[in-house]
Amino acid sequence: MAKQLFEWDYSSYPGAKKYPHLFKPIDIGALTIPNRIVYAATEDNLNTHDGFVTDADVAYITNRAKGVVGGICFMQGVYMDEPRKGQGYVGQAAAWDDKYIPGLKRLADAIHSQKAIAGFQLMDCGRVGAVDVEYGHGPSAVPQRLRIFRPILEMSKAEIEEMVQQHLDAAKRGLEAGFDIIEISGIVGYLISNFISSYTNRRTDEYGGDIRGRMKVVVDIIKGLKEVCGPDVPIGIRLCAEELLDDVRGNTPEESMETYKISEEAGVDYISVTAGWQESIVPVISRDVPQGSWLYLAKRAKENVKVPIMMAYRLFDPRLPNEAIGKGELDMWQMCRPMIADPLMPLKVLEGKEEDIRWCVACNLCLARLFRDAPMTCYINPLCAHEHDPKYTDPPPPEEEKNIMIVGAGPAGLECAYVAAQRGHEVHVYDKKDQVGGTVLEASKAPYGDDELLTCIKYQETQCKKAGVHFHLGTEVNEDLIRDELPDSVVLATGPTYPQLEVPESVKDKVVSILDVLRGDAKVGDKVVVWGNRKPGIGVALFLAKQGKKVTMVGKEKSAGFDVNPSFKWRYLIYMRQNKIKTYNDCQIEQVSEGELIVKTYDGYRFPLKFDTIVLTERELNENLKNVVQGEGIELFVIGDALVPRNISSAVHDGFRIGIRI
Amino acid sequence: MSFDAEKEISKLWGNLHNAQAEIGRMYYRWRQAALELAGPDANPLDVSLKAAEIIGKELGKASLPRLNWLKGEEAWLRSFAGGIALQWITQGAIVKVEPGEKPFEMFIKWERCPWPSYAKQYGVKMEEDVLCCDKILENILPDVNVFFNVNYKIETLKAIPRGQGVCLRRLYKVE
Repeated sequence: MAKQLFEWDYSSYPGAKKYPHLFKPIDIGALTIPNRIVYAATEDNLNTHDGFVTDADVAYITNRAKGVVGGICFMQGVYMDEPRKGQGYVGQAAAWDDKYIPGLKRLADAIHSQKAIAGFQLMDCGRVGAVDVEYGHGPSAVPQRLRIFRPILEMSKAEIEEMVQQHLDAAKRGLEAGFDIIEISGIVGYLISNFISSYTNRRTDEYGGDIRGRMKVVVDIIKGLKEVCGPDVPIGIRLCAEELLDDVRGNTPEESMETYKISEEAGVDYISVTAGWQESIVPVISRDVPQGSWLYLAKRAKENVKVPIMMAYRLFDPRLPNEAIGKGELDMWQMCRPMIADPLMPLKVLEGKEEDIRWCVACNLCLARLFRDAPMTCYINPLCAHEHDPKYTDPPPPEEEKNIMIVGAGPAGLECAYVAAQRGHEVHVYDKKDQVGGTVLEASKAPYGDDELLTCIKYQETQCKKAGVHFHLGTEVNEDLIRDELPDSVVLATGPTYPQLEVPESVKDKVVSILDVLRGDAKVGDKVVVWGNRKPGIGVALFLAKQGKKVTMVGKEKSAGFDVNPSFKWRYLIYMRQNKIKTYNDCQIEQVSEGELIVKTYDGYRFPLKFDTIVLTERELNENLKNVVQGEGIELFVIGDALVPRNISSAVHDGFRIGIRI
Repeated sequence: MSFDAEKEISKLWGNLHNAQAEIGRMYYRWRQAALELAGPDANPLDVSLKAAEIIGKELGKASLPRLNWLKGEEAWLRSFAGGIALQWITQGAIVKVEPGEKPFEMFIKWERCPWPSYAKQYGVKMEEDVLCCDKILENILPDVNVFFNVNYKIETLKAIPRGQGVCLRRLYKVE
């Protein structure tokens, strides 16, 4: 008879009726989990650089534990070796000594305080580890393809045995700290996956050779953990169902399924399905991959093993896992990024408040930050990693309630509006368009998943309405309106301006704005020059190339997509190549004449380009209205692209920060 | 439209050749610096071969992200040999790559190369130039071999500095 740690009754909640398969119990080993929801172990770089748990991490995980509404909440994977070869992130928690147990206990207690099941993950980062030391370790000294990672030293047999023991010792510490489930991380390039993969394991001893040999270390760890944990504590493993490493001779999908069967034989109580490595050249989790794309891997796993199967990987919409579980193709719905963007996402699903969910836009900024030794942050959730800071989570009410005029209903203005209104201000949002969204309305027309950007606007609009924000859409703010209304504060969130090129009169009708193009309001010829090589330029270039236009992008930045985070930028560069978009970076448009323009490189070379249409995407700050507001002695804030043209994330974060302090 | 194509191209071409020549001059200036620091007892060839070893390893590492096994070993080998040739082409050499008669065999032929001229200009023996190129090429291979789990070698059949008209090297798989 399986044991249930906390009682949960979902029967009265609307989400349990709408998504019945997500909110029914399941047995994982000897534990009954009340629902099918799992917050997957996710690094956050919030702990000390020597592995001790911090207040910030405890607050971060408490929120996610609340979100899983009785499901499983994993803390981040811990590294387990004193020399720190296994440490892959500067703020990764450690478990190589008993001195870490009190901090780990704080995390287990935090998860239990929310009546959730506490998961403890063992994660030696292998060839993507050694973040703070000179050499990493692995089964074989296979060189790194990416220079950001350390060179690898081949582990001796004694070192492998020591590593297995480190897993067992760390698990004991996890149990002592109060965790309920132990998980082995065997994915994406971490040490265990290095042993499993033919790409990184070239050993000829008992730890190498065929897939059984390469799985020996996994079997040793699982069997050891069974002894350490006893019958009551479930043991799971995360394993790649497809490594997506064919270009470097990685495992075949058949071999990967063999790893599932071997793990099951060795005694795991569940398997978490993943796809790809950090070194894979195939996109797996970015916005350009349609949601649900990887569900076939869970189905394949279910066909090969009997233990419960869980999976994350582009399963944001609860309808997808609900349906898959209903069809018997999946058992549990795992999440990382959706609960970074909104820690309470599953709770809101349960309560039937999906309109209150701040959806992840799959930009991978969170990952890009971790790989660059920065604390976790989220593109669209300004509270992320600030859960411990009351200035963010519970900003004080204002000293005086103000009448605030926000000019611009884009992501900056909307974020500022509802946050300020929630604090007690009277907030009026004006926009000359008759709908909210600002330039995101146009940006969302770009291909490769950018329509998901609109979810951010929908969330903000809902929050504004709930907070009592007054909208004045279709109203252009001018000097007279400001003088008539005389608000206490004005927030200019007007978006950027688009500077014009100097062109002869006869060419003016060939020069169009990015916004008109994306709206479909501009006539665009077959040969297009896009002026500007930041994200807006890339978006419209891809939009036009998809229509069969011959697109050339010319821009001032040294590299295209300078403003896109590296974990997503590589996708755009590949799509630009695939769509035959030619790019001239570090260049100016020097002169424009009928059908031809002159590009001037940074070092003075010049060459001509033919065009039918020039699309303007370069942006500048917007100082309209600033002088009027200041002239009237009204408190002024400028946010978003009006302050400095950047991206949606900067707009949202600007809006939030002014919203909590105005 | 005031654009003079010939002027732009000749300016660009001139600067490219200057940049290529500067690579050679810079190498030999550093060689001189290393020799002076190493002292009178150091063998200049040893110093040069050490530099060649470092250069080769770096080139091997840099080739890893560009190589791809997806289209099979023959395509992979063509791309690998082409990548080696490109290193010298960018420095001003004329290099051709041709498949051999045996499977997994490629010939890389330097029909013209600026490096022997640089060596002459700085009073360095021709044989040192050959041995350094050999060392560079030899050191490109280890990381590539381990990374792709293959075993390739490269051998020198002819060398311009030895008066043989071309440099010819055979890149081949060791069974």
